[in-house]
Parts: sequence; structure tokens; C-alpha cells
Amino acid sequence: MKCDEVELKMIDYLDNNLDSGVRREIEKHLETCESCLDELKESQQILNFISKDEIVKPADSLRINFYHMLHSEINKSEKKSKVQEHKPATPWYNNSSYRVAAGIALLICGTFIGLLLHSGFNASLASDELKQLHSEVSDLKKTAMFTMLKEESSSERIQAVRYVEDIDQPDQNVIEVLVRTLNTDRNVNVRMAAAYALSKFADQRMVCDSLVKSLSLQSDPILQVTLINILAERKEKSALKPIQEIIANRSTLKEVRAVAQNSLRVLI
Amino acid sequence: MAESTDEIVMENVKKGNLTEMSVLFERYHLRVYNFFFRLTFDMDVSQDLTQNLFYRMIKYKNSYKSEYSVKSWIFQIARNLHADYCKEEKRSGELFLKTEKYTVEPADDTEGFHEDEYERLERAMSDLSVEQKEIIVLSRFQGMKYEEISEITHQSVGAIKVAMYRAIRQLRGIYFKQI
Repeated sequence: MKCDEVELKMIDYLDNNLDSGVRREIEKHLETCESCLDELKESQQILNFISKDEIVKPADSLRINFYHMLHSEINKSEKKSKVQEHKPATPWYNNSSYRVAAGIALLICGTFIGLLLHSGFNASLASDELKQLHSEVSDLKKTAMFTMLKEESSSERIQAVRYVEDIDQPDQNVIEVLVRTLNTDRNVNVRMAAAYALSKFADQRMVCDSLVKSLSLQSDPILQVTLINILAERKEKSALKPIQEIIANRSTLKEVRAVAQNSLRVLI
Repeated sequence: MAESTDEIVMENVKKGNLTEMSVLFERYHLRVYNFFFRLTFDMDVSQDLTQNLFYRMIKYKNSYKSEYSVKSWIFQIARNLHADYCKEEKRSGELFLKTEKYTVEPADDTEGFHEDEYERLERAMSDLSVEQKEIIVLSRFQGMKYEEISEITHQSVGAIKVAMYRAIRQLRGIYFKQI
């Protein structure tokens, strides 16, 4: 065998991919050819260096961003299918969610007109009225949420949950409804939306506790992952126990277990 | 609970069950991230590209054809993303400045493997062509068979072997010249 032939087969030789006949021919050549032997050693060294290289771990934000992205893509596709659902039968103004939305839009318009009218007068009066209008909008959104959560279609229930995100100071009632949605809604996407809505208020002890509690109730992998991520991001120590239970549970999906184990690094 | 294959999961995603994408994310994000990292040596860029990859998988889910494995589809998208990134980098003229910036921490010192050796290898890698780098990363770092790489790059196994051989030869040249 000649040098250039040996060179071409060198990687296969090092990877042990050749049949014994060819191997022997190469070895015979190597006994007499020093430059090929040098090349072989160098190649071996290069391959060793490369395969020894460690796996690099990405930042935790990669996973968190992915789940945020997925969440918003799911919402988008739910919305699309909702438009299709309603197209054939009912005109848009008969749809209760549109009516509520239109009501809110009108109220917001009113707020701005009110603000404009008052801007020339007493500024503190305007801001008082603004505050009042603002709380009226909040109330309306709350009512809209309670009504829409009873809707058949999951996309409307998701919309309902998202109204909460606009409320600055949700009261106990709203939180309770959200927690109930998180734990009992039959649609996983609605439950996800509720988890994300609640995470915005997780500074409140009560909210945080119910997220931790919910973790042991959820069996859907994506919700387990979402909750673990939310709680790990907040470095919530009380989540440690339910997360360890998830790891110990034999029916836990491999991927969820990996996320759970990963979160322990921040929590322990 | 029986594990679904990548292909079954992807078919479910295609049917509109987007939540299943989380399964593929958990299975692949480390590999994909490391693929990008070996090519760019930049953690932020690798994270962006990985993020984009999963976004594209959702956006173009209907372009997944079941005759390919999901794995090779993922790496096809990854190659395209990396190619786009290179084009952009070339335009902004940063391609050659970037490679010096990052140093990898040594894995373990006990085996006498030192930081400067990693750096030297990185510098040598950055002198290879994009195609050569991709083949090395897929075959060595990702441990793929030539047949799999062939499905991803649409090249024959023979052509890949030759490219691999040339890449290693070039790497050897650069690497041992540096000493």
C-alpha cells in the first residue's frame, strides 16, 4: 500500500472501521514508513483532543425563554383556531368575548377623552377621576374574566386568564379563581396560561404557596416543567420537597426529571 | 410510560399539539447548543441560535417530512441557521475578531490536559472552512455516523470521508505548527 492510500484510510483505521486484511496492510506499511507513522500519531492526538472536549452547559435562561416562546406560540395558534371556529356560524358581534372586549375598549377611550378634557382644569381632580376610571376598567376586566372562564372553548378561557395580567392588584377572589383554573381546568393550555398569570404575582406569599402546592397535583409533563421553572427562577426553597417527589416518582417522564434535577442546583 | 420516538412526537406537533415540542426541546437542546458552540465559540450566539432553531421547528413544522429522522431534520435547520449567521458575521466584518475572545475552562487537570491545548485547538478549528468544521463537529463532538451526516448534509458517505480526512490533515498542520 502506498502513502497516499494509507493517509486516506487513516481515520477509518483509528476508528477501527476497517476489515482485518486492510488493517494488516496498513500496519505493514507503517512498519517501514516513518512519516506515515508520525501522521498517524498526530491524527490520533487530534482526534483524542476533540473527543475529550467537555459538553458545554447553556445558561438556564435558554430553557426559560424556550418555554415562554412555546407558551406564546400555543396562544397564537389557539387564537387562530378560535377565529376559524367562529367564522361559519355566528357574526363577530354575537360573540360574548368580543362584546366584552369592545366594552373595555370603549371604557379606555373614555378614560383618555376624560383625561384630555380635564387636562386644562385641575390636575389633581383629573388624576382622581383617572384613578377611579382605572379601577372601573380593572373591575370590568375582572367581571369579564369570571364570565369568560365559564366558556366552552379553551381559547376564550385562555383569553380570560390573560385579562388578569392587566390587573395591577388582583384581589383574593381573582387569585383563588386562577388557582382553581390552574389545578382543575380540563385543558392543559388554559392551565399553563393560569400558571404564567399567577407567576406575575408570585411575590405574594399566598400565590407562591399555591404554585408550590399545585406542583404535586399536576401530572402533565409540560405543566410540571413550567411550574418547576417558575419556582426555580424565584429560588423558591419550599418547592424543594415536591420537586424531589417528582424526581422520585417512577412515572415521571425522563425529560421532566432532568429539568427537576437541574432545578435542584439552584434550590439546594 | 413508554417513550415516544422523536418521529411520533413530531407528528403530534404537526397535528397542532404544540406542547409536545417541550419533549423535543428537552431531548435536543444540549446537543444543538453544543453544535453551535463548537462552531462559533460564543455562548450568547449559541444560545440565540438554539432559541431560533426551536422557533423555526414550530414555525415550519409542516415542512418536516417523515422520510427523514427528526434528528437529521433538526441538524439541517441548525446548519442553515449557522450559515445565515456566518453570512451576517461576514457582512459586519467580525468573523476573524471573534474567535480569540473566548477561552474554555479545562475539563480536568488530572489527565495532564492544559488550557493552552484547548485554546490551540480552538484556534486551529477556526481556520477550517465552515463545511469542514461542521463535519468534524457532527462526527466527533456529536458522535454521528457518516450515514447520518450524509442525510443532513446531502453529501455521499465517500465525499464526507474525504472531507473529514482533509479537515483532520489541515487541523494537524495548523495544530502542530503552532507548537
